[in-house]
Amino acid sequence: MTPTERDLRSGKRLGASLAFPASIIVLMVIVVPIVMLFRYSFNHFDASVMVEGFTFGNYVKFFQDPYYRKVFFSTVGVAAASTALALVLGFPVAYFLAKSQSRYKSLFIILLVFPLLVGNVVRAAGWMVILGNAGFINFVLQWLGIIEQPIRLLYTPLAVVVGTTAIVLPYLILTLQSVLEGIDFSVEEAAQNLGASFPTTFRRIVLPIAAPGVAAGTMLVFILSMNAYATPVLLGGSGITMMAPALYDQITKVSNWPFGSALALLLVTATLIMALLSSWLIHRRYVKTMAS
Amino acid sequence: MAKVSIDRLKKQFGASVAVSDFSLEIADGELVAFLGPSGCGKTTTLRMIAGFIPPTAGSIRIGKDDVTNVPVHKRNTGMVFQGYALFPHMTVGENVAFGLEMHKVPAVERGKRIDNVLDMVRMTQLRDRYPRQLSGGQQQRVAIARALAIEPRVFLLDEPLSNLDAKLRTEVREEIRALQRRLGLTTIFVTHDQEEALAIADRMAIMHDGKVQQVGFPETLYEKPANLFVANFLGKMNIFAGRVESPGRFVTENKLALAIEGSGAAASQVGVRPERIALSTEPVGPNAMPGVVDSSVYLGSLIDVRVRLDSGEVIGCQLPNSAGAQPAAPGTRVHACFRPGDCVLFSE
Repeated sequence: MTPTERDLRSGKRLGASLAFPASIIVLMVIVVPIVMLFRYSFNHFDASVMVEGFTFGNYVKFFQDPYYRKVFFSTVGVAAASTALALVLGFPVAYFLAKSQSRYKSLFIILLVFPLLVGNVVRAAGWMVILGNAGFINFVLQWLGIIEQPIRLLYTPLAVVVGTTAIVLPYLILTLQSVLEGIDFSVEEAAQNLGASFPTTFRRIVLPIAAPGVAAGTMLVFILSMNAYATPVLLGGSGITMMAPALYDQITKVSNWPFGSALALLLVTATLIMALLSSWLIHRRYVKTMAS
Repeated sequence: MAKVSIDRLKKQFGASVAVSDFSLEIADGELVAFLGPSGCGKTTTLRMIAGFIPPTAGSIRIGKDDVTNVPVHKRNTGMVFQGYALFPHMTVGENVAFGLEMHKVPAVERGKRIDNVLDMVRMTQLRDRYPRQLSGGQQQRVAIARALAIEPRVFLLDEPLSNLDAKLRTEVREEIRALQRRLGLTTIFVTHDQEEALAIADRMAIMHDGKVQQVGFPETLYEKPANLFVANFLGKMNIFAGRVESPGRFVTENKLALAIEGSGAAASQVGVRPERIALSTEPVGPNAMPGVVDSSVYLGSLIDVRVRLDSGEVIGCQLPNSAGAQPAAPGTRVHACFRPGDCVLFSE
């Protein structure tokens, strides 16, 4: 073995040993709990205690109980609506930012990151002030004489969608901005030079090139929305129940660990399947053609 | 194809003037090179002609139409970008088809025109490849085919050869020129490479600091540069400062008398191209200045010699490395000789 080979080997060994502590932590805080939840989900729940066993009862219960089916579909609905809304609101901002040569650009990005420094609970409290019966919107509408009685905005699915969109929007804009920044601007100019109007250039050139990155950002936001906890609890109240609060209630309020575990695994699995499916679809539609 | 008339074009970005007072007539089928160092305004001017940048003042006409306020996608100019700007998600064929679709060319004719332009640039075989599967030279050809497929009224090239290696650059240059001549394309070719411009252009416009310094045939610009910038940008020139003492006689600051041709009583500088100076042991002709060889650099096809004249000036000479050429060793006494007709007068 030459000295160079020895250096390379010891370099690899050093790298492996440096990665070791992190791997152990990942194993402990992510893999172990999931495996334990998986095991729990096959246990029985007897009155108020978990009994070791092996049953599919918890999963059967989820699929048979219309209430939990409704919870599941509300979750998917809210997540899809929030993601779509964030995409519609975020794309133009990201595009503008990516194209901007302004010296205020970095200031703008800092402003975008700023909401991430404030916790979800605090921001939900802000929305409660805006959406409540005595809140800002109802106050303005009443003052203008458009309505006489306050309309119910808080504790509705709409409130949850609005609150979730506000939370995920910065993540989406930042992801899209970096994707769009990677596109060579001269490609858009070439399209226009060849006779394409701005909308056509956007549809035929920008969107297909950006598609893989947009899909990645959208998926991230969808996953965040599916798993939201604080926002649905604080803004949805009794008006809507989503998966994360539902499984939390099972575990903490009813102490039904087996059913709570089953709900948790179903949430993880459903999120994963939808994420992979959308990624595969985008890949088939756009990415294939760009591979070398 | 059509002629292009640019009249007093100006572009100002905030307080800085990028282009000012740019006027030029380009004839139908003519190739004009915009030449200048980076930041001289040549690309800005090209982009104004294509429609990417709105001019601050002035007008652009293509044929009989004033296109100054016509948006890019309705101008029908065919542009080749510096980085080619091919659509990465489309094949070679689709790249070329895009412009035809935009111009609503019927499918049957579209197919014919794609075949035609791809054949022209010898890319027919690679029609189904994606841009990243092509070499730089091949991408360049596709970019040219794509721009020409729409049968543009003007063909615009923005530093099209700068990303190619030296050998390929000459090859593609010749191809562009041949294609341009054959199709009679009115062409504007932006470059910072003087050799490229000299080789390809019918006429050249030399730009500096946003202004056109001189427009003319390559030979005219090289032989009779209008000012010192043009003289030094196109090749090299030895400059003597002084004044015209009497008609045909110029005296330098070091009291060196030169025989000159032409009238130019106001001339304050005289320039001589290094390759127009001959070195000999005996004085030849009216301008024969004695001096000593300072250094001699062998450059293959020519020899670059610096001579320190007895009057104090140091001048550069380029001697052809021809058969029987004597290498001039440093320290050799020589006479630097040049014809009065090779002296260029400047009054600035």
